Amino acid sequence: MGTLLKVKKLSKSFGGLQALKEITLKVAPEQIVGIIGPNGAGKTTFFNCLSCLYHPTGGEIKFDNIPLATPISTAAKRRVRIFAWIFLILGLIRLPLFWSFFLPQTFYKVELFLLGLFILSIRFLLVRGLMRHEIWAWGLMFIFLLSDVCFALLFLTHQNPPAYIVFTHVPLRYMAMPWGVAGGLFSLYFAGVLCTGRVRRLYGFRTSPDAVCRMGLARTFQNIRLFFNLSVLDNVKIGRHGRMHSGLGKTLLKTRFQRKEEASAEKEGLHFLRFVGLEDKAFDLADTLAYGEQRRLEIARALSSEPKLLLLDEPAAGMNARESEKLIQLVRKIREGGIAVLIIEHDMKVMMNLADYIYVFDYGRLIAEGTPDAVRENQKVIDAYLGGGQGVC
Amino acid sequence: MSLSPKNPRVLFLAILFLAVILPWIPLGPSTNYLLRVLTSAVLYMILALGLNIVPGFTGLLDLGYVGFYGIGAYTSGLLAIHYDLSLWVILPLAAANGALWGVLLGAPTLRLTGDYFAIVTFGFSELVVLLIRNELWLTRGPMGLPGIPPPAIFGYALTQGWQYFYLALFLLLVVLVVVVRLENSRLGRAWFAIREDETAAQCCGISLIRYKVMAFAASAAIGAMGGAFYAKWFRFIHPDMFKFWESILILCLIVFGGMGSIAGTMLGALILIPLTEVLRTALPQSMFNARYLIYGLLLVLMMRLRPEGLIPFQLSRSRKAEQAKARLLGGEE
Repeated sequence: MGTLLKVKKLSKSFGGLQALKEITLKVAPEQIVGIIGPNGAGKTTFFNCLSCLYHPTGGEIKFDNIPLATPISTAAKRRVRIFAWIFLILGLIRLPLFWSFFLPQTFYKVELFLLGLFILSIRFLLVRGLMRHEIWAWGLMFIFLLSDVCFALLFLTHQNPPAYIVFTHVPLRYMAMPWGVAGGLFSLYFAGVLCTGRVRRLYGFRTSPDAVCRMGLARTFQNIRLFFNLSVLDNVKIGRHGRMHSGLGKTLLKTRFQRKEEASAEKEGLHFLRFVGLEDKAFDLADTLAYGEQRRLEIARALSSEPKLLLLDEPAAGMNARESEKLIQLVRKIREGGIAVLIIEHDMKVMMNLADYIYVFDYGRLIAEGTPDAVRENQKVIDAYLGGGQGVC
Repeated sequence: MSLSPKNPRVLFLAILFLAVILPWIPLGPSTNYLLRVLTSAVLYMILALGLNIVPGFTGLLDLGYVGFYGIGAYTSGLLAIHYDLSLWVILPLAAANGALWGVLLGAPTLRLTGDYFAIVTFGFSELVVLLIRNELWLTRGPMGLPGIPPPAIFGYALTQGWQYFYLALFLLLVVLVVVVRLENSRLGRAWFAIREDETAAQCCGISLIRYKVMAFAASAAIGAMGGAFYAKWFRFIHPDMFKFWESILILCLIVFGGMGSIAGTMLGALILIPLTEVLRTALPQSMFNARYLIYGLLLVLMMRLRPEGLIPFQLSRSRKAEQAKARLLGGEE
């Protein structure tokens, strides 16, 4: 048995705030691993990094031996930033000049609109952090290509268009030619830079959350995030999305494949609902379920994507003793089905009962790890929870 | 008032039957007028069904739908005038052209969120009008595009009002089949998931950008098809017909009928569009434009009394769930 999930020195900071500091963690197949820690210890941030909703600022995550995110070198980042700025400024100067001279009025307005759009998106993307330069570059390339294509088309098709003064003047038309060629080469160069993935590699790549789910890493959320206006069965069927294959064409033609797949999705969905004990509510809206049932529905939805590793974010929050007992049974059953579980929980009783191995977070750092008994006795853990002194439970 | 799963279908078939025999009910000279009004109602039903995919199913505000409508109309008009193609070639071509522009606009801009995206779509529709108005060599600009040949079916040119009405009904049925199939499929569920909760949808393996672009393209294709029919029916198109107001009107239809519910969307169009005509005759000539005021009043009332529309999304979903229950549990026994 190898390891299913391997996290090495994972860090994540939001501006000045370091939410995670060099977390190292391992999950083996069919293991139940727990994460505990006081509020604000970075547990949920850690989950968000695993499911690729956040891009870690450092460290490595390997799931099933496939890296989900790679570290970024700061020096390379600076170089790319300068590069992107130069290109941006050059592009912003070049475009309006070029257009106002050589393009007819309407196209000029179209491209001015695109430029505005582009600036708007920069403003928007600045908030996003890491991905911005790459998208700038794509945007620039897009606009260059568009202007050059427009230019080429006009040049080729219009012998004597009355509206455009520049084009009627023959020498000017030939003077315009090198501009178009230069622009084209410029955009080709840019496309090359992007396609070889140089920018991508410098920035560290990032797997998208949906790809992670399809790789077999499903999760639930701390604050319940169901699709409340849909039926319970539909929720589970959406969870199966990544395991289904019929696309637009098959749907419109309603081929046999699509109908079969739909029927099997329904059957599987009911199966998973039976597994968590919600079968009789399958046709109600998710809105109408009780709190504990909604939690279990979230688990069913995550399970229906047939994951190898299930991330549970405080599944027992707000449950009474009997419900959490049922939850323990459920998680054990999940493990027997061959799925590893990584679980965040505040309820110590649940955790001590359930987990094979426990990691303790505090202020974004890993302060202790070990079997439940070892962690219970650990002085650091006791200090973190109670500020020193008495026992944990 | 039982909401048994069969009821809506029976109701739908009854309405369809009524629509089919309508041209043959002797109403004297007003038949043609009635047919014209109803044809435009059916056209708006098609458009509303198309728009519904984006704000209704996927939850993105789209203020530029009329751009695609215009693209479809001009594609159809120009193809008909210059190449004299058959209707059955023009309709798919117009739809494909709409979808193409939907993808071109959607792919870079659907990464924007909420209001930013609405602004972009609004800008797009204005651009389409601007382009149509200024590119004289292609569209004749403000002179409009007259003399579009009437559509011919099996070599037989359509001239009568009832023929267009039937054509519109046929197109509506096609669009309805498409939309219903989309709604009940993996795609539709992905759209609903995006509408309900983007983060959760992503974590269920749904690629946001891909499904958003698909929704946008599908909506654009249907809009363009509506436009193509419009050009063939009216036989004259003009840039002023594709103003921003039209987008808002269609948005009103789906808000009024119930965002995201197919039946509601159609009902909204069926009520509001003929209402324009009723108001046209009811209001004196000088106050004709006051009908927009009445529209506004109606919407305000709607927001106050039934904010989710005539047939809310939730209701249509729970009805769907009941149908599924009957189907699945019926099969087991």
